[in-house]
Amino acid sequence: MAVEIPKVAYAGKIKEIPLGREGNTITVGGESCYPFHLFEGAMPHPPKIAMEVYDRAPEDWPDTALEPFADVAGDPAAWARKCIDTYGAEMIALQLASTDPNAENIPADEAAAITKKVSDAVDVPLIVFGTSNVDKDTEVLKAVCEACEGKNLIIGPLSEGNYRAIGATAIGYKHTVMASTPIDINLAKQLNILLGNLNVPDDKIIIDPTTGALGYGLEYCYSVMERIRMAALVQEDERLQFPILANLAKEVWKIKEVKLSETEAPLLGDQKKRGILMEAMTAQCVLLAGADILVMRHPEAINLVKESIQDLMIRGEG
Amino acid sequence: MSKIICSAAIRGAHKIVGTAEAKCEAALKKWGPVQELGFPNTTYYLPIIYGILGIPVKTLGDAKGVLDKCKELLPAQVSDNVWLPYLAPALEAGMATFFAEEIVEAIRYLEEPNCYTQGENPLPDNIWLGAADDVIMRKRGVEFVDGTAPGFAAILGAAPTSEIAAKIAIELQEKNLYVFMCADHEGKTMSEQLVEAGVQIGWPTRLVSFGPSYTATVFAMGFATRAAMSFGGVKPGDFAANLHYNKDRIFAFAMPLGTVIDEWYANAAGAINWGFPTIADTPIPEILPTGICTYEHVVSNIPHDQIVARAIEVRGLKVTISKVDIPMSYGPAFEGERIRKDDLYFECGGGRTLGVELTVSKDMSEVEDGKIEMVGPDLDQIKEGAKLPFAMLIEVAGRQMQPDFEPILERQVHHLVNYVQGIMHIGQRNIMWIRVGKAAVEKGLLLKHLGKVMHAKYHQDFGNIIDKVQIKIYTDEERVKEILEMAKKVYRQRDKRVEGMTDETEETYYSCTLCQSFAPSHVCIITPERTGMCGAYNWLDCKVSFEINPTGPNQPIEKGECIDPAMGQWKGITDFVFKASRQKIEQVSAYSLMNFPMTACGCFECVATILPMCNGIMVVSRDFMGMTPCGMKFTTLAGMVGGGNQTPGFLGVSKHYICSRKFLIAEGGLKRVVWLPKMLKEEIAERIKPICEEMGIPNFPEMIADDTIGTTEEEILPFLEEKGHPALTMDPLM
Amino acid sequence: MGLSGIEIFKKLPKTNCGKCGVPTCLAFAMKLATGKAELDACPDLSEDVKEELGEASAPPVRTVVIGTGERAVKLGGETVLFRHEKRFENPPAFTLLLSDKMDEAEISAKLTKFKDTTYERVGIVLQPAMVAVKGECKDTSGFMALVENVCNNTDAGLVLMNEDVDALSRAVKSCSNRKPLIYAATRKNAETLGNLAKELSCPLAVKGNSLEELAEISEKLIKMGLKDLVLDSGARTAGKSMEDQIIIRRSALMKKFKPFGFPTIVFPCEMTDNPMKEAMIACQMIVKYGSIIILSEMKGHSIFPLLLASMNIFTDPQRPMAVEQKIYEIGATDENSPVLITGNFSLTYFIVSGEVDASHVPSYLLIKDTEGLSVLTAWAAGKFGADTIAPFVKKCGIEEKVKHRKLVIPGYLATISGELEEELPDWQILIGPREASHLPAYLKQWNA
Ligand code: SF4
Ligand code: SF4
Ligand code: SF4
Repeated sequence: MAVEIPKVAYAGKIKEIPLGREGNTITVGGESCYPFHLFEGAMPHPPKIAMEVYDRAPEDWPDTALEPFADVAGDPAAWARKCIDTYGAEMIALQLASTDPNAENIPADEAAAITKKVSDAVDVPLIVFGTSNVDKDTEVLKAVCEACEGKNLIIGPLSEGNYRAIGATAIGYKHTVMASTPIDINLAKQLNILLGNLNVPDDKIIIDPTTGALGYGLEYCYSVMERIRMAALVQEDERLQFPILANLAKEVWKIKEVKLSETEAPLLGDQKKRGILMEAMTAQCVLLAGADILVMRHPEAINLVKESIQDLMIRGEG
Repeated sequence: MSKIICSAAIRGAHKIVGTAEAKCEAALKKWGPVQELGFPNTTYYLPIIYGILGIPVKTLGDAKGVLDKCKELLPAQVSDNVWLPYLAPALEAGMATFFAEEIVEAIRYLEEPNCYTQGENPLPDNIWLGAADDVIMRKRGVEFVDGTAPGFAAILGAAPTSEIAAKIAIELQEKNLYVFMCADHEGKTMSEQLVEAGVQIGWPTRLVSFGPSYTATVFAMGFATRAAMSFGGVKPGDFAANLHYNKDRIFAFAMPLGTVIDEWYANAAGAINWGFPTIADTPIPEILPTGICTYEHVVSNIPHDQIVARAIEVRGLKVTISKVDIPMSYGPAFEGERIRKDDLYFECGGGRTLGVELTVSKDMSEVEDGKIEMVGPDLDQIKEGAKLPFAMLIEVAGRQMQPDFEPILERQVHHLVNYVQGIMHIGQRNIMWIRVGKAAVEKGLLLKHLGKVMHAKYHQDFGNIIDKVQIKIYTDEERVKEILEMAKKVYRQRDKRVEGMTDETEETYYSCTLCQSFAPSHVCIITPERTGMCGAYNWLDCKVSFEINPTGPNQPIEKGECIDPAMGQWKGITDFVFKASRQKIEQVSAYSLMNFPMTACGCFECVATILPMCNGIMVVSRDFMGMTPCGMKFTTLAGMVGGGNQTPGFLGVSKHYICSRKFLIAEGGLKRVVWLPKMLKEEIAERIKPICEEMGIPNFPEMIADDTIGTTEEEILPFLEEKGHPALTMDPLM
Repeated sequence: MGLSGIEIFKKLPKTNCGKCGVPTCLAFAMKLATGKAELDACPDLSEDVKEELGEASAPPVRTVVIGTGERAVKLGGETVLFRHEKRFENPPAFTLLLSDKMDEAEISAKLTKFKDTTYERVGIVLQPAMVAVKGECKDTSGFMALVENVCNNTDAGLVLMNEDVDALSRAVKSCSNRKPLIYAATRKNAETLGNLAKELSCPLAVKGNSLEELAEISEKLIKMGLKDLVLDSGARTAGKSMEDQIIIRRSALMKKFKPFGFPTIVFPCEMTDNPMKEAMIACQMIVKYGSIIILSEMKGHSIFPLLLASMNIFTDPQRPMAVEQKIYEIGATDENSPVLITGNFSLTYFIVSGEVDASHVPSYLLIKDTEGLSVLTAWAAGKFGADTIAPFVKKCGIEEKVKHRKLVIPGYLATISGELEEELPDWQILIGPREASHLPAYLKQWNA
């Protein structure tokens, strides 16, 4: 019996954004269908995973997450290299956690120097995160832009409070920006409009609609991403046709359920595998909602997600 | 453009192009056409020529080619007896001037390689910095884009004294502007005057000594031209985009100090192309009507102590104030503070003394920004426990300001004053009430500081519509009475205006999509007679909100052709809602409950629904917890009709809308209402009075059943029948 | 969906007799329209009206129930493609696969694990829903014994799987009172199993080797009068499953294509040998439309995240989840520990408690019932104002637990601090940070 496949008429397409320095770029975006709906559209660039690197030795990570990086924690450049050489990272995401005014509060130029070192040590695209402190991020990311001229970093988060200052600097030094908004499709769109008004070129914008961990608000983020994708692809919302980034690792690895040992919580099973699956499943969900770049931590979780992406990219028979 | 200026500019341009030609010829003889030519360390060649014409000048030969073009551009001299259409030729002459000057400066680099320092700071033996290289350009350019430096003042010539020069420079610095200096007036330059006065110059202090000659103006203009290319994505040669970018984003102006010679006129005319007006201290002819520049083109004869303020006004520059400068902490965390009797130092208003707050708009010339006037004793002159009459009159001016915005600005006084630690503010208009705590007075808080608060916050929060704010605070009985009388008059006018505003009188309605985060397809359509269903946004609020945040949730909608006046359907509204609901809602009525009612989001003030047996409509408000005759409580109703869906027979409404003449007129309006919770009925009784009278049923409120009559249709029907409620004999609801 | 409440109302008796459990016909009509009531609840409908409304108000994906009693599993009933459009109705049933090829020890270990696996979160019990018993051996006695064993050991729903139709029939008959899902009708045996399912009124799975074949068998069974079907498109790779699941759901919703108007069954357990990967595929199925998800094992580290994911995806986006109103003690609290208060929106609770936990400052977290609304919304709706917070603080018992009288309120609620101090004269009201992420820093400098 013939089954007529009800197809969606896509009117829009996600912009293709080249990341990384010239000659060595990775492109994200370009979708002309919902995530992995390959029977009715194309996903020319499968989603990519950026591996997290911290600017200092992490203090509050469970051992299960720290173990793969124990030998390089504290040396961000070496850490980044290890991610690439040992774990095959396609991108690096540097978290400048110690710039947090509530933590070490290291000055902007120090953070810029660290970033420069990392960026010199790697040739893959580099994402650089501040700490979501509007004022401090402005200082830090401006300094980072200057120090890493020509590397086309992806810098963020840019929020309504600091998009002008950081955005302007990013234009000047030709970096890509990450527009962050708190789980709201209209705010996401508005910030993209503002960035456009500032003259940030369209091929230099990535959106970060905020990601929550499994069990900790993931559903809100999931739906906002899904709605952004729908608006972009079928509802002519040109200012939402940008690739989506999900900064998920740091959300997942701070929750209670990845920190409890099996002895403390026997029903929750093996602590290491649990953490890996919590991270990998959070990633799996946002992938299916439309994320193009996943910021992840544990190498084994990353492998699972990579396989998942591969599997979903095959329209195989049976 | 004034004929005098026009002919002077064209004369000047001819001279400058002539000079450039002569220099170029000489240089060609000396070095030949393949000799490299350009400003140091830049990839933008000679930036104005590159940006406007798209020609990369790399050699002397290239320069020659450009000069030939200049000559084509140059209009004929204006003769006394021929009257030419004057603006365009003068502007073209200005362009030619800049091209020629760039070539003159480039040749200077060739002739005297050390004429400029090529760095950020002046050297002991050479204060002239010359063209900004790419490193400086990018670092400083960022500040122009992100707004930390809104623009620059290009100063030609010199002030009468070094003191005046320093004063002007510092004033400009305070407004975060860059000061680009060039040219001399009777042998003096502003740069030298600043050095004399001990003011530090150089890029880091934003006082940039470009060069001693008027031709150095091109360094300023070149800077602006490059900014458009590197930050605006403007392609070389796309002159229209480049000039627009500058007009819209770089708040620059020329400020000639001293006698304006022909060459200066030529430069000023050139700058007008970029949208940069000229503000002069000498009595040159003015060009006031706006056209290319945002406002006036040339304003003249401005005294030195006013010249900066005037320049800022003419260029339409916004004042930014980052901090509220008072001796107390300030912020939303203090909004809820109470000042109790024991802590009380001073109070006013609140029925204890006369008290009034008023915000009015004035003409630009009538308001002096930042001026705070205090008449009568302040907190440091009174004893603990004192009470005084109080009036605060806030006068604002702005080119985007409209009298309609006054009440909304005035309404902000409440929370803005409340944000001050140690102050409690309640109410508004002439029922306002302020209490000040002892601790605040100990720390030195004065009533005058409220003026500072309002000045800073109005600029911060309403910068888009306000350019100037001045505040007058009175504690003197006589003056307070005067203000009070004036205020009452204003209030009356405002109330009248709001009453007189109908859906018919306005062509533009507003959307609100704030609730889409909960209810993906929800769009409130807000008309003068229908507020948002949450009750928090009326038409004027939306209008202001749009002015302040043009990309925000409140967008203006041209209502367009009327499809059905009774239903309240318009073409423009329908199209907008279709798009804003992301294609979910295909038709919407502003005035109907049954046919394509507005979507509901979830936190509407009230819900209206039908009571089939009574052939009427009931409305229940959020604060009524009990059962209602439709068989559902408010919470149940809210759960069923929220989420951005269109649910015929159910509609979220604000209390204000119930009292509107447009309330559900498709179903017969207020007359259909058969049940309300008693407290809601009492709350709106006064407000619906005039409508009841117009309906010819002045005692209509008595006919509406409420929860004391019954909470089922069976219970209320006999009541309605007894009262002869009109709904019973109206057309069937469905 | 289809009909609006008003349209349904027009067809109702309009007597407001209340027999349906709500006071008026209008209220009942609204419940029908929003899928919150069954037509049968009104006893006074004529057959014509019933048919007309039944047709119009039946969800495009039929609700199928497997099992009985408390552990009956409801599947399907879906009305939307994306959860934000309304909500997903019935979360997937995670189902443990047991085979007659496994030895006794393995079976009993797996079964015990299955039974032990249950979690509570925001008052909701999360647990795997069913056991699938698969017969793979020639000798059917093992299969029968296993079915019996499982029946005796758990009340959970059952899926009975066997390619041997006779064995399957016998097994189904042996426990038909448990309403197991019969797996599966194929082109070959559709008629036999169709009749069996009909006779025993058990739900029946349909397996095709392609969507076309699936549609064909499904249609045939519908014609035979079967109502409760579950669909297996035969896809056994992640990519193909994704595609099939989407097409099935879309056909049902957008085309009202009856043969696909049923819940589905999927087999991550047959798609990989790696249990971690299996869990990932299962996660995909939660998001994209799997109804019964068959797993080869139920280890805490995989089933817990899966249950969380399904809870997340299946929460009603328009009705916030709420936690219980009470004092939550975080860490080793004592009489000097800080006291914080916030609303009972589950996300608020999780995030705030997480940050307090991370601060390592033992604290009391007072959670006040705000009907699941977030702090600001609750305040705006009058559910988190001084007048309601004060009585709660007085009554909840915190005054016995701490010596000090300092209460930290959310930074966004600074406006109520004054009022609250008036209502709680013994307490000093402190304004906490606006963002939960600033709580650790805030708490570290807190002193009683
Ligand atoms: S209910 Fe109020 S806030 Fe929400 S969309 Fe309508 S006007 Fe805006
Ligand atoms: S109406 Fe509802 S959805 Fe809209 S702002 Fe209020 S609470 Fe939020
Ligand atoms: S039982 Fe039927 S007739 Fe009675 S109130 Fe309910 S819907 Fe109306």
